[in-house]
Amino acid sequence: MTRTTQITILVVLLALLSLFYQGLWGDPRHIPPVLVDTRAPVFEGPNVESGEPLSSEQYKGKVIVVNFWASWCQECKVEHENLLRLYDEFKDHPEFVMLGINYQDEIPKARAYLQRYGSSFPHMQDVKGALAIDFGVYGVPETFVIDKQGIIRHKWIGPIVDNVYTNLTKNVLTPLLQRADTRSLRSGQAT
Amino acid sequence: MFRFSPILILLCLVSSTDGLAKVVDETEIDQKVREIAKTLRCTVCQTENIWESGAPLAHQMRDAIRERVVQGQSTEEIRAYFHSRYGDYIMMEPPKQGINWLIWLAPFLLLFGGGVLLWREVKGWVTRTPEPQPPPTLDETSRRRIERELHQDRWE
Repeated sequence: MTRTTQITILVVLLALLSLFYQGLWGDPRHIPPVLVDTRAPVFEGPNVESGEPLSSEQYKGKVIVVNFWASWCQECKVEHENLLRLYDEFKDHPEFVMLGINYQDEIPKARAYLQRYGSSFPHMQDVKGALAIDFGVYGVPETFVIDKQGIIRHKWIGPIVDNVYTNLTKNVLTPLLQRADTRSLRSGQAT
Repeated sequence: MFRFSPILILLCLVSSTDGLAKVVDETEIDQKVREIAKTLRCTVCQTENIWESGAPLAHQMRDAIRERVVQGQSTEEIRAYFHSRYGDYIMMEPPKQGINWLIWLAPFLLLFGGGVLLWREVKGWVTRTPEPQPPPTLDETSRRRIERELHQDRWE
């Protein structure tokens, strides 16, 4: 066996071993998000609490935080306080809206959940989970940030806690809303 | 009473034919749903397709497929929809494009490479094996000595 063949075999084996090693430590449940930087799905459905219709049309031109949750989801309870804090932090911004999507749940249980843990922003029903599939959701909680143009700019799988909260507010939402401010200022000066 | 019985029989036949037609339609839809669902991977459970999975999300996905089949969408359209939502991960067979070719071709390439290496090694062993040599010829002195010794053994 020549030296070149030996080196080639070694390189191939090392490459295979590194792939194997990567596979050992990777999360097998992790699915690479494919919807980031694509247009968000349109949606409509009844409000969990009031039953009134909600639709993506009424949020057009806003920065939207969409959070999928369910009353049977333990991790949703963990993040709920932070979601309320997030809404309080940005609610005064005219271009910020937040929407909860109640995923595959029983409405009385969802209402009881909101009464118990608090509700400051609207929540839409997705009893059959069809909207969740449209958003490529595979578990709750999952959070999406949609920009003013209706493009999904961020997706987070899991609860919004600790560093995730800081990253979402400082590195995702604040820049998106600042961009929105700059645009509105420019359009104001132009007129 | 007997005058109405043919009408009743006809009604029964019509209603049962209608019922049969519905069953046939459902079976066709079921078949298509099953065919598509078997090609899509359950995203919350590993190595299971959404037809075989008992996970709630897989159930919803089967419903979503059924709705689209009923709407008249083709198999490819439905598969493309799920691919657009979940990417290559959801396909039981990764699409034959880009880096995915590595998954399809790597086993054959490794098998071919291994075969070539094995062939070369075996060939090396064969060429290194010495040819069988004929037994050394006996010189005259040794032959006489052996004969003499054998002769002596016989008479002792």
